[in-house]
Amino acid sequence: MAGIEIRNLRIEYRIPNGEELFTAVNDVSLSVREGEFVSIVGSSGCGKSTLLLSVAGLVKVARGSIAIDERIVTGPGPDRAVVFQDASLLPWRTVLGNVRFGLEMQRWTGGDYTERAMSMIRLVGLGRFADYHPHQLSGGMRQRANIARALAVDPEVLLMDEPFGALDAQTREIMGEELLRIWEKNKKTALFVTHDIDEAIFLSDKIVVMGRNPGHIKEVIEVDLPRPRKPEILDTPRFTEFRRRLRAHLAADMAGMHLVEEVA
Amino acid sequence: MGMAVTSIRDASRRNVLQGWYPKRSSMVSFLSVAAFFILWQVAPELGWVNGRFTSQPSQVFLAGIDVVLHDNFFYHARISLTELALGFALALAVSIPLGVLLGTSQTARYLIDPPLMALYIAPTLVLLPILVVWLGIGMASKVAIVFLGALFPIVVNTMAGMREVDSKLIRAARSFGASKFDIFIQILIPGSLPSILTGIRLAVGRAVLGVVVGELFVSQAGIGHQLNTYGSSMRIDRLLVYALVVSAFGYALTAAVRAIEAHVRTWRPE
Amino acid sequence: MMMDVFMRRQALILGTFSLVGIIVLWQVAVASGAINPFFISTPAAVWEEFLVQLGDGSLLTNIAASLYSFALALGLAVAVGIGLGILAGWFRDAEAALEPFIWFKYSAPTVAFYPLFIAWLGYGTPTIVAIAFLFALTPIYANTLSGIKNVDRDLKRVATSFGGRPYDIFFRIALPGSVPVIVAGLRLGVGRALTGVVVAELFGANAGLGYSIAYYAQMLQTTQMMVSIVVIILLGVAMTQALSFVEKQTDAWRTSHDT
Repeated sequence: MAGIEIRNLRIEYRIPNGEELFTAVNDVSLSVREGEFVSIVGSSGCGKSTLLLSVAGLVKVARGSIAIDERIVTGPGPDRAVVFQDASLLPWRTVLGNVRFGLEMQRWTGGDYTERAMSMIRLVGLGRFADYHPHQLSGGMRQRANIARALAVDPEVLLMDEPFGALDAQTREIMGEELLRIWEKNKKTALFVTHDIDEAIFLSDKIVVMGRNPGHIKEVIEVDLPRPRKPEILDTPRFTEFRRRLRAHLAADMAGMHLVEEVA
Repeated sequence: MGMAVTSIRDASRRNVLQGWYPKRSSMVSFLSVAAFFILWQVAPELGWVNGRFTSQPSQVFLAGIDVVLHDNFFYHARISLTELALGFALALAVSIPLGVLLGTSQTARYLIDPPLMALYIAPTLVLLPILVVWLGIGMASKVAIVFLGALFPIVVNTMAGMREVDSKLIRAARSFGASKFDIFIQILIPGSLPSILTGIRLAVGRAVLGVVVGELFVSQAGIGHQLNTYGSSMRIDRLLVYALVVSAFGYALTAAVRAIEAHVRTWRPE
Repeated sequence: MMMDVFMRRQALILGTFSLVGIIVLWQVAVASGAINPFFISTPAAVWEEFLVQLGDGSLLTNIAASLYSFALALGLAVAVGIGLGILAGWFRDAEAALEPFIWFKYSAPTVAFYPLFIAWLGYGTPTIVAIAFLFALTPIYANTLSGIKNVDRDLKRVATSFGGRPYDIFFRIALPGSVPVIVAGLRLGVGRALTGVVVAELFGANAGLGYSIAYYAQMLQTTQMMVSIVVIILLGVAMTQALSFVEKQTDAWRTSHDT
């Protein structure tokens, strides 16, 4: 298990057909402790996904550094696994085949691939569906398979980019509880990007609020609600207080956006 | 108890009969074809058309039996099939690697795409005479025209298939540390299989056309050669037998590829 | 920014480069003796012959003859294809009645019946037009059928809810909505018509580009053949590009619908 150290991170990219460099993320520094579940929230365009992808090693860094357990990140690696919003399951493989995929790519040496994959599949609740193809599964089930695939390689850090964003509200709630159930088993360090405030508060130990133009950290909020978290917690006053704080941040962002549009 | 069993059996029998009742569209299609055949058979008898030019279903049927038994049918069929198979095999051997190259290398694509597209659109059959000049009137020129006909659809579709593979799958693979080779074998090839099959299906059509036209143009044997012979000698009944054989064959091949395509496409819900 | 402009230009530059490169390669391969000029001639010789044929009028006569057959065949194919396509698209029974014949036409290589046409119509323009007509008919009919049949259900429902009768739905929704698909079918039909004309001319004609190829083939004069071959390829490309352009224009209102 490992902690994440992000120091003075700056990520730029070129707009296609454009002249300038666009700064997605500017001077971001963040510490994540071992075993912490951290959510990153913010309105569209604040760079939260870009930040996550740079920790995954899929996006180049212009300045600053990212270190996992003191090792600098230069590209993808076996110490991290990503759960994308799109399940990205190979349509021609079964659930079992898909969960084995990560193990195959990393030439995993920790034991029999099928055994490992099946234990993860059972963990996410898809035990009966191991031989199904993705097109036979619902959106929620596909995401479970996606999560199983990421867990199979036993990463030190779990990176999740709005994994429940494409699901309907009820499935999202269920998946959130499922995710915590699975996460409680080995409490991996987790970075979780989301739009959904309630989801962020419910799941995390810490919430990083990002702002845009350019992407930066506005505030880091410690969520000291007791674990294990139950759905009833959403109605408690302390939860509501966190919700209020986050709503205020987003409202400020909205106002800022309107101002910019009027001026322009 | 006995009474109940009987009624269940009766009920299921009724259901079977009900399920068998054909759809309206099938009925209309059937009637349409039947009307055509009846007209075809009857019109020459009634003097509406000259039977020498149209033949009749009955005559064609008899000629069919005659051809199979007495006309060296299988010899000619074998010639045409050989030309088709050789040309197609050659085309596959060249077009798939070429398509893969074009699908993965942007430089190759920019360089080769313009002439490739021009040749894909152009009627390759136009090259038939020059191929005969190069390769003679024997089987070689037919193999060549089949090769050319099949080549372009497969290359173009393989290339397109490679490029249209869901980039999210590639991103997911990269996140697990997949090498370029891994991505190629595990993602690009299975991902482009439906397109490759489409290319093969289109190529089959062009290949069959190539053999027939090639043999019609100039040949010493083969189905097309027979078509030419009977056309010149106004043996319309035998001509139609061979034409129908070609049609049936072309259809069977295309249907076979379609079946494989359909099976592969079940992976994609969209 | 410079990089992006370069990227788009790069496609154009490399494309032109490759065409020029092929011509240069061609010339060099033959001049150096690697390929016998008998087989594919040289760009220089083909260019000269092109000027000769242009000068004595033979090239233009051939192009005109082919284009004449092409226009007739395409016109017929458009009239019949769109007419039948609309009929079949709108009336299920018509579609069911026509389906076996279309299916047969689709599986049977039209050229296999070529001797039949010769027997009926003799050598010359009628047969050429007939073959090219049949070649071009399939995509035009198929696309028109598909366009009319697959009218956007949501639009149909809106029209009906406002009291639209079948007549209204046909002229105001089905027909306009199928224009892009029909134009796509036309683009395919144009290519097929040209192919049909040229291939039919290979066999029996007294003028035309295909005829020219077959004529010079008999005398093994590859240079003369190459002129016609190149003209056909250029014609095909030009026509397809022109139609793709038209297609894009009619498609313009569709792009926002797709996103």
